Amino acid sequence: MVYPVSARLSTLEQEARIEIRRLITVVALIAVGVILLAAVIGTGDDVGTIVSVFATRFLGIFIEAVPFLLLGTLVSGLIEAFISAEDIARLVPRNPFFATLIGTFMGFTFPVCECGVVPVVRRLYTKGLPMSVGVTFLLAAPVINPVVLVSTYAAFGFGNVLILRFAITALVAFVIGLVFAVAARPQDVLQPTSLAPVMGGSGEAIHLPTARKTKRKPLLIGLRDALVMAGDEFFEMGRYLIIGSLLAATMQTLVSQDVLLALGRGPVVSVLVMQGLAFLLSVCSTVDSFLALAFAGTFTTGSILAFLTFGPMVDIKSTLMFAGVFKRRVVLYLILLPLLLTMLIGIWMNLNIAF
Amino acid sequence: MEHTHEHSHDHERGEVITLAAKSAILIGLGTYFVYNIVSGNLTNYINERFGWLSYVAAALFLLIGGYSLYHLLTEHFPAEKHKHDGGEGEHDHDHDHRDHAHDGHNHLSWGALIVVAIPLVLGTLIPSRPLGAESVDGSVSITAAAGANVTTFAIEPNKRNVLDWLRVFNATDGDYAEVSGQPVDVIGFVYSEPTFAPDQFMVARFTMSCCVADASAIGLPVLWPGAVEQGVWVQVTGVIEVGEFRGEATPLVRAESVAVVEQPEHPYLYP
Repeated sequence: MVYPVSARLSTLEQEARIEIRRLITVVALIAVGVILLAAVIGTGDDVGTIVSVFATRFLGIFIEAVPFLLLGTLVSGLIEAFISAEDIARLVPRNPFFATLIGTFMGFTFPVCECGVVPVVRRLYTKGLPMSVGVTFLLAAPVINPVVLVSTYAAFGFGNVLILRFAITALVAFVIGLVFAVAARPQDVLQPTSLAPVMGGSGEAIHLPTARKTKRKPLLIGLRDALVMAGDEFFEMGRYLIIGSLLAATMQTLVSQDVLLALGRGPVVSVLVMQGLAFLLSVCSTVDSFLALAFAGTFTTGSILAFLTFGPMVDIKSTLMFAGVFKRRVVLYLILLPLLLTMLIGIWMNLNIAF
Repeated sequence: MEHTHEHSHDHERGEVITLAAKSAILIGLGTYFVYNIVSGNLTNYINERFGWLSYVAAALFLLIGGYSLYHLLTEHFPAEKHKHDGGEGEHDHDHDHRDHAHDGHNHLSWGALIVVAIPLVLGTLIPSRPLGAESVDGSVSITAAAGANVTTFAIEPNKRNVLDWLRVFNATDGDYAEVSGQPVDVIGFVYSEPTFAPDQFMVARFTMSCCVADASAIGLPVLWPGAVEQGVWVQVTGVIEVGEFRGEATPLVRAESVAVVEQPEHPYLYP
């Protein structure tokens, strides 16, 4: 089955975009440099000490987080290499309620990194996964998987944050999935290339015994592909982790406690700030707990949870990828609904629960 | 899948450089982790109990980096030059398709490579040091985060460290007569602020549950008329007495001796 190739940008447009992106990057870097210089001068300590403390804090986050990033990408790579979309689509029950429920927890048996979840969902759709289950899986799988469980436990121990992170994610994903199940038709939600080719693209679960099965890869080739993918993904995703860690380390080293507390103590402001950070930093969900930990001393628990539940669902990277699978307006809903739900939950917790 | 291997010489060289950089960084990071483990620097950054994770990371880095290097050497510097003309070569070109397909070329941008190299650069250039007095953000706390359990009291007074003492204070619930007069023998780094009385300083430690990200400073107030230097590690012996510190009645240490010591191998306390 050949899908129509989307129109490519003309080379000129592509070049222009690259140039603009480069310009923005340079300007941003200069601005950051100036701000850092001002902050360093402002503290009064000598530069050598500051650099040393900064490096320790930065490397601390990096060293703790990196094993999880590697494991996450390796596991994703193995899943991609060895498990076909048919296996997954076949396991989904017909009843929309149970299907959505399964979708919420499927990430545990098919862990995919947040970055890999969109292509996986698209492939699942083409194999007949019901539309609402795909939405739920998309939102829940980045958190509800074993690697994130362990890394969140490593960062926060067994306590409120760990339990609530999973509970809130499951709840929000399930609710949004149900909304899609009852209120939307697949044809209005999905891009044409994502609809199942048979049955007029109804998006309902279909079992096609005669459908062409994807050939399973031989073990060694699969392993090798997984390794290569893990390596590439480490650079792709490691970028965001490192930038986020640099930011967190800068914040801990150069920004005074008072400023942080001013931002972090307000029940509403703290949630908004953390959600904004989560969106911008776009850190992989397997390691964002360690970044959140850096803020845990000064920010409210509700805001930390908002960071940990909203970030994996929506960020710059995933927004761009949603556009490839869902229609424009739906992408907007997929951003706004998690934003509002996690925001409300975070604020409610700050106001009502004494952690 | 048919395609012509019409790389220009530059294109292929660019790919080699990218792949070489990628392998170098991965293997470099693996080596960095191994070095941290072997030298003991690892505990400057993370809680000991997570040390095993670094073994995993080192192993994975070396595995992935090693494979990348192997790929680089076998693909681009083969023993004999293959003729890349339409896939008629002897060996199986199937697995090359990922690399030679035009949209699957090592699309690692230079940006990604540079950013990922940053920790390697910082880690090797800047000498590794644990957090100390200069890293104290805000103030040193005199309330222990985790409460005391039964065993804390069972520890003999002069074997208690700063964390144990704070937990004991916490558990006495304001009735400091219980601890008054008990002998103290702790080590920590010196921390003082201008707002302290001239004969007071704090003997402090950093505690850590997970890693540096959650490290926070705790300390015992000490009464000592002598001069002390900020950040230096000292061993303080003395007795507990109830006095005033930061405007509140608190148990503190009336020091009998304050001696400079070497920074311990494991400077952090794990609650």
